[in-house]
Amino acid sequence: MSERTLTDLAKAVQEYDGDQAALLAQQALDEGTEPVAILDALTACIREVGDAFGAGDLFLPELVGAADAMESAMPIVVAALKAEGTTRTSAGKVVAGTVAGDIHNIGKSIFCTLLTADGFEVIDLGIDVGVDKFIATVKEEEPDVVAMSALLTITAQEQQNVIAALESAGMRDDLKVIVGGGAISQRFAESIGADGYSPTAPGGVTLVREMLG
Amino acid sequence: MLIGFTRSFPPLEMLSPEEMESIHRGALYVLEKTGMEIGHPAARQQLADAGCSVDVETERVRFPAWLVEDCLRKVPTHFRLRARNPEQDLMVGGDTLYFMQGMGMQYLDLETWETRPATGAEHRDAMIVADALPNVHLAEAWEIYTDRRGIPPVMVMLENLANGIRYSSKVQVAGNIQDTEIFAIMMAQAAGIDLFPEIEHASPLTIHAGGVNAAYRYMDAAMPICPALGVAMGAAGPATIAGSLVLQVAETMGWAVLTQTYRPGAPIAIHHGAGALDMRTGIDIWGGPAVSVSTAMMNQILRRYGIPIWSNAGFASDSKKIDFQAGFEKSTGALMAALSGGHLQLFQGGSSTELLFSPELMVMDDDVAGWIGRVLQGAQITEETLAVDVINEVGPIPGHYLGHAHTREFWNKEDYFMAVADHEPYSAWLTTGKKDMLSRATEKVAEILASHKPMPLSDAEQEGVNGALNEARDHYRSKGAISDADWSNYMNELKLEENDRLATA
Repeated sequence: MSERTLTDLAKAVQEYDGDQAALLAQQALDEGTEPVAILDALTACIREVGDAFGAGDLFLPELVGAADAMESAMPIVVAALKAEGTTRTSAGKVVAGTVAGDIHNIGKSIFCTLLTADGFEVIDLGIDVGVDKFIATVKEEEPDVVAMSALLTITAQEQQNVIAALESAGMRDDLKVIVGGGAISQRFAESIGADGYSPTAPGGVTLVREMLG
Repeated sequence: MLIGFTRSFPPLEMLSPEEMESIHRGALYVLEKTGMEIGHPAARQQLADAGCSVDVETERVRFPAWLVEDCLRKVPTHFRLRARNPEQDLMVGGDTLYFMQGMGMQYLDLETWETRPATGAEHRDAMIVADALPNVHLAEAWEIYTDRRGIPPVMVMLENLANGIRYSSKVQVAGNIQDTEIFAIMMAQAAGIDLFPEIEHASPLTIHAGGVNAAYRYMDAAMPICPALGVAMGAAGPATIAGSLVLQVAETMGWAVLTQTYRPGAPIAIHHGAGALDMRTGIDIWGGPAVSVSTAMMNQILRRYGIPIWSNAGFASDSKKIDFQAGFEKSTGALMAALSGGHLQLFQGGSSTELLFSPELMVMDDDVAGWIGRVLQGAQITEETLAVDVINEVGPIPGHYLGHAHTREFWNKEDYFMAVADHEPYSAWLTTGKKDMLSRATEKVAEILASHKPMPLSDAEQEGVNGALNEARDHYRSKGAISDADWSNYMNELKLEENDRLATA
């Protein structure tokens, strides 16, 4: 086990070098480092970047660059964890997507990146995500939180449809549902039976953290 | 006589011909090498037949330069928009600028400065004010108050548009959500007008099926379309203004090919304006200088192609209040767009990005629109306006011009006299309640609502519009897009609106 490799791995992430991060994650495994230790190193590193963003010392391009670099190394670590029968530990699992009819990507992507940087496991379903896709993913991944974004008032209704479908499928009670996006309000969130609402991506992360306590 | 503000001098040009060529070449290369993802099988087939290379699996369409340039030439430089009142017809293009009243989801409460969903009566009143204001040339009914109390989201565009047609005789803008354009077209045809539809586009380099369907339907109804490019610098586009121009030009070219291979000569305009992303919050900055520079440069490029322009700079401020920031961000942006040759300017009444719409702000912005329009007209230089003989005649003090016939003829032609900006002498201002522009605008809104009567629809037109609305309501209800609970709220709300209408009438 080489501490040096883990230090270099953190450095690669902080220098936004995904290829190097993947190589170093593999190298650490080859040197006999426990997959959990590699995961911890990555999480600590991205949390540091997230904190610097929160403090206003780093900005979104740096945050997203570092999160992408970390994501490049993650499949290697996750595969190793799986091979040894350990499941990935995280602060919580979140399934996120922009609802059907809405093609706005950026706010949701920022939210997912910030969550990753905060130590959460995030499954980003992308944009224009239909009810069925949300339901199938929740069934498979068993997340703690489902997060839906809608920028347009006209598509905000879709969030309600997803909640109704979660209820019909008997999955609503096992998870928290949060909604976000420029088109909606606390009032709307309450009216459709969501557990929480945030108008911004950083606020959404705080919300998830509070909910999962 | 056509309405609008016609510029009397060359437009602002910030790019050299060589720089424009670099952007043009860059965009052609992007379209040929990377292309666009187009989520509509028939459109992909149409583009393949026209000479594009299509990858069926990835839905990627790559465009050859010859086809792009051929289609750019086919886009008409001008198009007509028919209003309910023929005196409000528009001829978009050339050196003329039209203002559209702005957009904003919610109603702004001036007591608390907080926003909330608007009632139907508030939407109707906003349209009446827009109809009365002299510098609102297009009424954008559907994009004000897209958060309407009790109206199911799928019906908002149509309910708003119907109000626009009822309470304004000006050209209407429309949209496309979940096929609602089908009913919007029915309404427009019943009222004998054109719509000017804004079509959904997804930057970077993506067109979804809904946007293509709407574009086809509006083009089939012989209406011009306006794809809205959504480039946010550093997020949905490169962080540089130059890079965002290359991307926006590539997307413009994609739309030119898509529309001109579907219907050669189909009129289109491009709605553009890249704002920078605030890298601390992830929110677009609409009031910064970047969007003004990007808008002016893109206007220059679109003018080279002869494509009519809907420019973004100045459409909203980032301020949450009607304050100095809102005033300067909106005015400077709109002025830059106007000076650089924009044809359509979304402007009066919207702010806080796309969050709020305020009739009071609409009245204040209308003064700014008139100011900008007056600037565009420049000054007439003729023998008479040069007034050389008059200057010689009046001579030095005690000579003056106040009583001269030349002054009587010209004094009210050279400046724009604003309706609600405060130009009172200080002593009068002290005795009339120390009113600022906002309080004057509030009074003006009340005055318009008490006196302005929009041109009524004929019974047949009214029936046609209502018929299309009813058909849409039934359609979306039967499709399950409106739940039973929402339906009952919806019907209650419509009843309240009708009661309010009868009481007001």
